[in-house]
Amino acid sequence: MTNSQFRMSAAEAEQPPVVTATGDIDLANVNEFQDVLCSAAADSDAITVDLSDVTYCDSAAVRALFAVAATTKLGLIVPTTGPIMTLLSISGLDRVATVVTRD
Amino acid sequence: MHRILERMQSDLLDALGLAITVHNKSHDEKPSVLAALGVGADFAAAQMSGIGGPVPDALAYQVPVLSLDLWTDDRWPDLTLVSMRDRAPQHESSWEQVHGAAAVPGVWADDATVVVSCTLSQPASAATVASLITYEQLVSAALITTAAENATAIADIITVLQSRGAIEQAKGALMGLVRCDAERAWRMMRRASQEFNVKLRELAVALVEHISGAPAEQPDTGTPITPDERTREAARLMWAALSEHR
Repeated sequence: MTNSQFRMSAAEAEQPPVVTATGDIDLANVNEFQDVLCSAAADSDAITVDLSDVTYCDSAAVRALFAVAATTKLGLIVPTTGPIMTLLSISGLDRVATVVTRD
Repeated sequence: MHRILERMQSDLLDALGLAITVHNKSHDEKPSVLAALGVGADFAAAQMSGIGGPVPDALAYQVPVLSLDLWTDDRWPDLTLVSMRDRAPQHESSWEQVHGAAAVPGVWADDATVVVSCTLSQPASAATVASLITYEQLVSAALITTAAENATAIADIITVLQSRGAIEQAKGALMGLVRCDAERAWRMMRRASQEFNVKLRELAVALVEHISGAPAEQPDTGTPITPDERTREAARLMWAALSEHR
């Protein structure tokens, strides 16, 4: 599945499928984000979401990530510093997902 | 409200306490506990008295908050077994069992926020948060109804009802643009008003006027709703973003 902002690459060689997000995730596109997360999680018991190129994300994205983590093992790739990391630690999402930081 | 809490308890079997906390910012009031079960009321009140915790953080940042083990969580160094024993010694045996907690915020009217929270004898999981998200929607809907029975909130409800014409029009326009149902259109408006920090009824009027180029439907009684420039800008941005991602 591909579209402008959320790309999904299939699982390969023991690696879970990866959803790569870019740009802003907000109320305007969070449902699209959630759809891609759900289809990635549908055939796999683990997924990785790469947020390294996300410029902005808010409470709507955090809710979507909590929802997918409720049924799937969630891995996150995020920038070491910046608003996304702050959002993860305020919400405690970093405690139920495996977080890998990238500069 | 109590019935919702009882349903939550049957879903969250390891809950030691549940609470619904409301904050009405327009009246300059402090957040207060509206309904609770178990240790919920004492625990939410303690967190808001200054020692911190998931409930005040969910209110302040408007994001879901989860903790695996409250007493050792480095986000709230003052929230400990000792401090809770001092504050509410009658629940001592419960405090000893506490592990996880979660809190999920929502907005149910202009300037009025709510947090649905639970305290567990087990670590909280993403599924705990997902379950609270469902109940937050139920609680917000119930609040709108119960507020109508409450004399102090009646004025707010009248304003909401008066602006309903514009809100319905704006909802209709959003449903047409992004091809979604009324529920989703309503949620998009709620979130936008929260994010841009503008009043929902004013955003609705601004949206309708932006789309149609004509004045929006106004209440028959009371003062007409005139959105300020910031609200109009928010409406423009929201509409542009949605048109782009269609």
